[in-house]
Amino acid sequence: MRYFAALAVVMMALVGSAGAEEAPLLAELVASGKLPPQAERLPDEPRVMQIDESTQRTPGKQGGSIRMLMADQKDLRMITVYGYARLIGYNRSLELKPDILLSYENEKNRVFTLHLRPGHKWSDGSPFTAEDFRYQWEDVLTDPDMDRGGLDQVFLAGGKPPKFEVIDPLTVRYTWETPNPLFLPALAGARPLDIYAASAYLKQFHAKYADPEQLKAEVAKEKVKDWQSLQIRMARSYRPENPDLPTLQPWMNMTSPPSNRFVFDRNPYYHRVDQNGVQLPYIDRLVMNIAESSIIPAKTGSGESDLQERYLSFTDYTFLKEGEERNNYTVRLWTVGRGSAVALFPNLNTTDAGWKEVFRDVRFRRALSMGVDRTQINQVLFAGLAKESASTVLPGSPLFRDELGEAYASFDPDAANALLDEMGLKRSPAGVRLLPDGRPMDLIVESTGESSMEADVLELITTDWADLGIKVFTRTSQRDIFRSRVAAGSTLMSVWAGVDNGAPTADFSPQEFVPTDPYQLQWPMWGTYVSTHGSAGEKIDYEPAQKLVDLYGQWLSAEDDDQKRKIWAQILDINAEEVFSIGIVTETLVPVVVSNNLMNVPAEGISSFDPYGYFGVYEMDSFWMKNAGQGN
Amino acid sequence: MTLPKNAAPLAHTVTDAPFDPEAIYQYTDAQKSLFEASQLRLMWWKFRRHKPALISAIFLGLLYLSTLFSEVLAPYNLHTRHSGSIYAPPQSVHLFHDGQLRAPFVYGYDFKLNMENLKREYVPNTDKIETIRWFCSGDDYDFWGVIPASFHIACPAEGGSLFLLGTDRLGRDVLSRIIYGARISLTIGLLGVGVSLVLGILIGGMAGYYGGLFDVLSQRLIEVIQSIPSIPLWLALAAILPITWSPIFVYFGITVILGLLDWTGLARTVRSKLLALREEDYVSAAQVMGASSFRIVSRHLIPGFASHLIATATIAIPTMILGETTLSFLGLGLRAPITSWGVLLTEAQNINAVALYPWLLWPVLPVILVVLAYNFLGDGLRDAADPYK
Repeated sequence: MRYFAALAVVMMALVGSAGAEEAPLLAELVASGKLPPQAERLPDEPRVMQIDESTQRTPGKQGGSIRMLMADQKDLRMITVYGYARLIGYNRSLELKPDILLSYENEKNRVFTLHLRPGHKWSDGSPFTAEDFRYQWEDVLTDPDMDRGGLDQVFLAGGKPPKFEVIDPLTVRYTWETPNPLFLPALAGARPLDIYAASAYLKQFHAKYADPEQLKAEVAKEKVKDWQSLQIRMARSYRPENPDLPTLQPWMNMTSPPSNRFVFDRNPYYHRVDQNGVQLPYIDRLVMNIAESSIIPAKTGSGESDLQERYLSFTDYTFLKEGEERNNYTVRLWTVGRGSAVALFPNLNTTDAGWKEVFRDVRFRRALSMGVDRTQINQVLFAGLAKESASTVLPGSPLFRDELGEAYASFDPDAANALLDEMGLKRSPAGVRLLPDGRPMDLIVESTGESSMEADVLELITTDWADLGIKVFTRTSQRDIFRSRVAAGSTLMSVWAGVDNGAPTADFSPQEFVPTDPYQLQWPMWGTYVSTHGSAGEKIDYEPAQKLVDLYGQWLSAEDDDQKRKIWAQILDINAEEVFSIGIVTETLVPVVVSNNLMNVPAEGISSFDPYGYFGVYEMDSFWMKNAGQGN
Repeated sequence: MTLPKNAAPLAHTVTDAPFDPEAIYQYTDAQKSLFEASQLRLMWWKFRRHKPALISAIFLGLLYLSTLFSEVLAPYNLHTRHSGSIYAPPQSVHLFHDGQLRAPFVYGYDFKLNMENLKREYVPNTDKIETIRWFCSGDDYDFWGVIPASFHIACPAEGGSLFLLGTDRLGRDVLSRIIYGARISLTIGLLGVGVSLVLGILIGGMAGYYGGLFDVLSQRLIEVIQSIPSIPLWLALAAILPITWSPIFVYFGITVILGLLDWTGLARTVRSKLLALREEDYVSAAQVMGASSFRIVSRHLIPGFASHLIATATIAIPTMILGETTLSFLGLGLRAPITSWGVLLTEAQNINAVALYPWLLWPVLPVILVVLAYNFLGDGLRDAADPYK
């Protein structure tokens, strides 16, 4: 304790006298004059983070590098998720706080005024101003030449886009006619809504600003179809493939794909400092090595990663634990933040008429759910440490009630068989039930094959459901193909996890429990229909689903929390009663491997994409290396 | 001597003394039985002397015999899961307890979940003596999928366990699964080789014997088939097999696929052998005597290179077994719930199996042994098929 206090004093002295010490990676550049000193790089008012005992952390020092393992070049996006610099972001208690923004004002979810930090700069040193918002709004999002196929759903409140205004060079305003409660959470999402872009850089790829000859040359050089594609490719900020694109994130990509090793260096102009005035991130460099996902646990166990949660699963825990001492890391167990670790989704929009009829009978879905021996799955695959539950929110959510988790989730094959008999599904002499059109019930469950856990769960369910007279077959396909097959209605049932955000408050959108998105596995066509305002997909012809959409509409225009809570409760009740997805277990654990040199990584945490962004909400820029420079 | 005029017959005499083939040289009984022995008998004599081949033949014979009685030999049913004994290590059979000889028994396990590293720890408890039951009634099964029964050669003690090779992640006995897996893995080789032998001899034989247009066409076809990269082709073919087919059809489909791809090499050899042999005098003699093509090929030509065929077949069977193992290992071949050695190895295909549960790799052993045995057997048979050499 005293040590840190002393350190703080020393740091303060440094800040006061000679300006903060430069990060090892940048010291030389600053010394040679290629980069201005830290004081000139920071915004006038940087965001000051409390990194001390009050947040169970220790102030660190700059330097060092972290190695991580990823399976695919697409995983570049994980750096944006982990980095989690957002206009507005969640803190650990999931409250919205301005981050890149200096402040914001929200008038009844209709008028949003965003104030930028004076002196805030992009990673290339160019100023970050209202022009970057105007460019994105006028020249990209709503430019008819860009032909983006319409605005994102989030921009449309009551079907109408906002009015965008630049108030002054550091202030912008979005005004909707009706409330848009989705706007701020979208800015804070793990995959944020892009409402700003590095306009100074990107204008050279926009027909409105660029010299036509040069633009043509660029299009030819990048081998793309037209300048619009070029613009989209160069502006890709969520998956930072373009090393030249300026960013506001803590680390910036230095490597052009394709590569098996991506290096991310610290953003010299990053806007956060710790309470001692040390610019974040502490870590100078992230190194992302690409490896086959199936050998990532093995590589992690042999100490090839300093910080790893992705591609590890609970079954690897024992193995990873064995390597702890040898390779100087610690395995922590974080709780999976999804609503359900494994869930089965009957496709209510399947093109197979016979199955569609059966799936839409709530008795069938309830019978399937009651036919699963969750206790056995929990014991066999999760050492009994998970919680058996239907697919709903987690017990950690204020919206959780016991009856939601228990709904049709207890193993009762007799009751399940009785329901199926009541539906008139006869058994063939071989014991397999027959569909109303006479075909045997061969139920093909689609999986991405990414996790062996899903396969094991399916194997156990196969025998459980055989007792109900349903034969289960598994087909695995690659994730993109899996998704497009589901969306096309050519699948019967798919296995995936429950809702992303397992512990929402009433302020979070209930959209994952409502047909709103084409990628929802239980009702892709209805999701398409709702999200396109009826121009594609199928009209909802199932009453409880329509009820959900109506409730969602009410939630969108709800003004007070009490009303929102009531709507949430109704939505969850309908989902529990209707068993739109069959949850198996929840609150499963996932190993997180952390090098013993890496400080400030929480011992316990929630592993979830949205809203936590895995390490994002835990502020990865506050992680630091104890022995920077050693070992790597 | 001058020739008689007008082509009159030569003068000759015929003796009426009985013909005695041994008049000049008296054969011993041993020689007689050697010279009069049939081809098969000669092969057997020769083969008998090749000890590794003989042992291999007996070993393979026993294995094939076992596939007829897998249900009886395996201590557990193929699908029995023991959720209380997941990843249990192998139990060893003991004969002595406290220095006293007893009927074979295993020590029961005390199970504890180590909460520190979540490892399932099994400690043999020397107080729990679980005597193995013999010729007993155990897990229920349908013999050959038809007759319900529960008879086993060996069963665990009542309430006890008998995991001689440990259990897998769902608590299934690995030994039982290997025994059941032999049924698929050993026969898939036979069926596949059968298909490829028939195709190879038929197409190669016709191409070699008749030549001409058929020869040209079949040779080009072989070139096309051989030029197709095999793994993508397997992938495609495995994907074509409908998912709802019963596993046994899938199994048959894979066999036929393997066989359909494998005949080309054999067909080429058969053709070249026939091209050479059909010019031999004894073939001309048979043709002059009016033998049919089929008779000439099957009676006169094929025995001429039977040794080669046997060698090819016995080497092809282990290739097929390995092929099935490879395909299943890659996830393209057989799928659970069918259990073959390849499927078992697929399930052991992760770092956990290697580091923590090495007994899951036991199916490797029968694969190696069978492949070795087939190679020895093929060696012995090839030597034996040319007994005069």
